[in-house]
Parts: sequence; C-alpha cells; structure tokens
Amino acid sequence: MGLVDQAEFHFFHFFPYTDLPPDHRERPSLWVDFPNTNYDPKTGHELYNRYLSEMLLADKLGYDGLVLNEHHNTQYSMNPAPNLTAAALVPQTTSWISVFGTPPNLGYPNRLAEEYAMLDVMSGGRLRVAFPLGTGMEYWANAVNPATARARFRESIDIILRCWTEDGPQTYAGDFYTYRYLNPWPRPVQRPYPECYIVGTGSPETIELAAELGFGYSVVFIPRTAQLKVFDHYRERLAAHGHDPTPDKVAIGVMAYVAETDARAEEEFLPHVMYFFENALRTTPRYLNPPGYVTVPEFRKRIQAPDVHGSANWEDLVAINRIVAGTPDKVADAIAGWIEESGSSRLNLNLTLGDMPNWKVVKNTTLFAEEVIPRLRSKKEAA
Amino acid sequence: MTPVTTVPFERLDLLVHGTPTVVLAAGDTAAPPLVFLHGAGTWHGWGFAEPWTERFRVLIPHHPGYGDSGDLEGLQDVHDLVLHYVELFDQLGLTADVNLVGLSLGGLIAARFAIEQKHRLRRLVLVAPAGLQGRGVAFEDVFCIPPEQLMGRLVHSMDTLAPHLPADPNDVDFTVDRYREMRTTAIMLWERPFDRVLPRWLGRVDTPSLVVWGEDDRLVPVELARCWVELLPRSTLVTFPHAGHLVLDEAPEASAAVARFCGTD
Repeated sequence: MGLVDQAEFHFFHFFPYTDLPPDHRERPSLWVDFPNTNYDPKTGHELYNRYLSEMLLADKLGYDGLVLNEHHNTQYSMNPAPNLTAAALVPQTTSWISVFGTPPNLGYPNRLAEEYAMLDVMSGGRLRVAFPLGTGMEYWANAVNPATARARFRESIDIILRCWTEDGPQTYAGDFYTYRYLNPWPRPVQRPYPECYIVGTGSPETIELAAELGFGYSVVFIPRTAQLKVFDHYRERLAAHGHDPTPDKVAIGVMAYVAETDARAEEEFLPHVMYFFENALRTTPRYLNPPGYVTVPEFRKRIQAPDVHGSANWEDLVAINRIVAGTPDKVADAIAGWIEESGSSRLNLNLTLGDMPNWKVVKNTTLFAEEVIPRLRSKKEAA
Repeated sequence: MTPVTTVPFERLDLLVHGTPTVVLAAGDTAAPPLVFLHGAGTWHGWGFAEPWTERFRVLIPHHPGYGDSGDLEGLQDVHDLVLHYVELFDQLGLTADVNLVGLSLGGLIAARFAIEQKHRLRRLVLVAPAGLQGRGVAFEDVFCIPPEQLMGRLVHSMDTLAPHLPADPNDVDFTVDRYREMRTTAIMLWERPFDRVLPRWLGRVDTPSLVVWGEDDRLVPVELARCWVELLPRSTLVTFPHAGHLVLDEAPEASAAVARFCGTD
C-alpha cells in the first residue's frame, strides 16, 4: 500500500479578520501592536458565521478532519481560543477535529487538559491536538516569559500527559506549576489520550521533545526542502526513542486551489496567497524573536535565514512552499509528489487563505473534494 | 565577543560557584577596591573607568550571561546575581570597604546587593539605576524599544557610541551577542521589570550613597532619581546636562564625581 492510500485530508481554516483599514500597509506589523480598534465586532460576527459554514461544508464533503489553530493580538486569526470554535463545530460534524492548538504554557495546563478532555468527550472521541510553542508574537501578547517559554512548555505538556495517563488525585511540584490536587474531570474518551502532535519551526529542541514523547510533528514557516531534512531528523530521533516512525507522524501543510484550467486557478488563487504572505503574516523581526524565545545558536541561524513574514513574490513562494493552483490533475500530481517526498500521510490543507471570498472557498473546497481526492485515491488503485 | 578596552585592564578568568566569570581588573592591587557592575550591555567600552584606576583597584566583572562570562545555570531573578556577587566578593577577598558602583541594570543589582551585604560596602554609587517604577513617572519598557532605536536612546549624542558599534549594523556576531544579553535580562526581568524588594528594604542601606543621572536620559528618566534618593537614607543626587543614560561615557565630570565620592573620607 502506497503512502497516498493512507493519506488523510484535513481542512485547515485560519479564521482571518480581513477588513483591514486602507492605510494598513504603512504598518510594519499586523500582529502584536496592530490596534484592536481596527476590529469591528459586526464584521467579526459575519466572518465567524461564514467561516463556520465553510468548515461545515468541508465536513459534509467528506474531508477527514477540520483543523483550527490559535493566535493572539492579530488579524491573522480570529481564534485566540480555538477550543470555543471547536466546541461550536462538535455537534454539527462527524469528522476529526484537530485543535493545532493552544500553546499549553500560555495558561494553566490542567485547564487545557480539561478543555481537551471536554471536547473529546463531547465529540465522542473525535479530537486530535497539537501543542505549539506559539510564535514569538504570542509572547508579546501574553504574560509569559519568552526566555523561559521552552522549559515551561515542556513542563506544561508533562502535566497534561499526567492528567491523561495517571489516576487522580495526584500532586505535581514543578518549576512553574504546583498542583496539590491534580484531578481533572472529565478524562478523555480516547485512551490513553487523543493523538498528539507538536507544531514547531524545526528547532532541534522541539523535534527532540516530539520524538521523546512519541508525538507527531508538524512544521510551519520554513521552506519545503528544509522541512524534508527536519522530517528525516525527527524520524531518526523518533526511532531512537523507540517509537515507530509511521507516515501519520508527520503532518504537512499544503496550499491548493483547483479550477477549470491552470491559468484560471492561478488567477483566482494568487491574490489571496499574496495577501496572506504580504499582509496576514506581516510582522517585524523583533516580534518574531522576543528575547530568549530561541536559544542563542538558533538565533544566529535564524537571522541569517530568509524572511517569510511580509515580503514575497509568487515564484519564490511556489518554489519554497507547497503551493499549487491548477486543474484537478495538476493539483493531484503535485500533492502525490509531496506525500511521497515527505513520507507523510497527514495533509493539512489550506484551501482558503487570506481574503479569499466565500464563493471561491466553496468552489475550491468542493472541487478538491470531488475531483482531487478521488484522483489521488485512483492513483493508488492504478499502482 | 571582544569588549573595547584601551587600557590597562587585565582579564581574570574565575569560576564562581560553577559559572565561568570574567573580571576586568586594573589599578594598584593594594589600592581601595572599586567594583563596577555594568548595565544590560557590555559593548560600549570601559573608557569612563580608566581615570578610576589612578586611585582604585578597579574590578569590572561581566555578569553571568553577559559579555565574556558564561551563563548562570538555573538563573531566575536578580537575586541569583546578588548571590553570584556574594560568592565573587568572597573569592576576591572583598569583605569590607568596597566601593560599589552600578549602572542601570548594574545599579539594580548593586542596590539589591547593598540591602543584604551593606557591611562589605564603604560607598554605594547608583548610576541611572533600573528597577524602580516611580510614582507618576511614565517611561517605555526597554523590551518594547525597537532595537534600531535602542542605541540612540542610550545617549545624548551618537558620537559617544560610534567607536563601539560595528561598521555593518546587521553584523551577525554583534547582533547575536546583544540577543544573548537581552535574553539574560529577559530571564530576570520580563515578567517583573520593577523590583518588589527595593521599595520595602532599600531604607536599610545606611551606606553613604551617590545617585548619578544624565539629565537627557531617554531610557530611565532622570525624574526617577528623586524616588531613589527618598528611599536611600544617606544619599546625594548629582545630575549632568547634555548626557543620556550612559552618563559616565558622555560626561567626564560624572566619572570624576564618582571617583571623588568614593575617595572621600
């Protein structure tokens, strides 16, 4: 059985707030300090309804799952509390719901263990989670020290796993959290706990943690070829820690748009991809790297790497990311290639991006489900 | 990194309770000791301390996590540095009659050190010290100042810094060294930039104290000086015009005033 046979297709929505003021281009960052006076709750209400309907459409079209993530102080995402969104989706859906996810060190880990267990119980065991460290920007927005974030992250995950794997009440005496009665109700339906990933940007500490815990790994914000090296390293470490490096352990992100012709697909997709990279992601190096957020050697590497936050041209973007726009054949071919080269059977699909209007999201999500997924399935049958 | 030093400082490499610690030393070993605790950056040179070497044994330790010193494992807050300096003072035999001078972050460390170790001190000099919030004094958190503006905010005139800055503003080594120093500062101060011990306990310090400030300080404003003087029972304030946060670098009179105060019987 080829990798494509095992592939799962997950519909990822960032829930962007797209009604930006005309002078927004003058601002070097649309994160952290972009004034929240630019947020109109009425528009927000309409967008929530629209985005939820797009998630529900994906569920009806048979996608394997729906994916949410979390960001703060930004137009990039209207999901600072993605568990609320997940809870809204639970009773209306049947697919997996992946919260990819809340940085566990930004709040109290027992609380996150409770919320995830609630979602898992409410959905009857359809929850998957990822633990991101969170971008540097989240540490400007929250009252958590970026310089100790990694140690706190590790401890938070340890606490959540104890909540899920050991009977309560327990005590926990950590560097950051002390629990006298760690005894959260409810406990998850899935035993011992829902499938977990770590989301990272390829830093060795995070890869090692995912490998040690036997978690899946998903990497964001670094070029495709660099991701392949990261995956190889992760699988090697996973095996070294005694875990089986199965293809579902690695999740890859794909930005795809399907239309009648390649030219039409590109024409319809391109402005929103550009909007995403130029505007939605636009921030400053200072916000990306608060003091101590990465180790000193990692910082040295990063300041010499290309900047992906706020400047872009189409050719470069296509060359370094998994972006494809075209006919169902073209899109299916590209995706089959990415599945094979990355050894991943988990696809997080960005079929909506930036300021894409609803009609395009509906068109793309439908065509992808009806024309691309069956083509990928038939590849396996032919092979 | 290589700090810019022009004179006679010799480099001592010590191990302080497990932390590799560099101390720059100059002046007659028999002269009265003057320990200078630097601010959150080690890159702007020690020229202001050179005149002190005529009358004092000048010792300039690099804090753990700054300059050429190693990181202090398990560092949590300023008190770890106070204990680090208790240990360093013990190693160097600095048990009494020490003149302690601290700039900015070093001023905060010196003040916290004095609260617990005043018996070792003869004089305490706080130069534009950090750590006090001050009532009704508004100023920007150091972490919120964009790095490209930070250098300018330190001084009245950029000419002061020019010799110490790399030719290329994006110089990788320089940028990485500054990142490391800001990281160490963040470990200690990100969550609580304002010290909670000082307002309660600084009144214990009956050491003769001098508070020094540049009148054009655009990082830690001179308006905070009165808060320090109110808290320190035996303190005097001197301020200098046309000088910024790095007042010792910008006003030779400020450096001279420090030497005079420490040299007074």
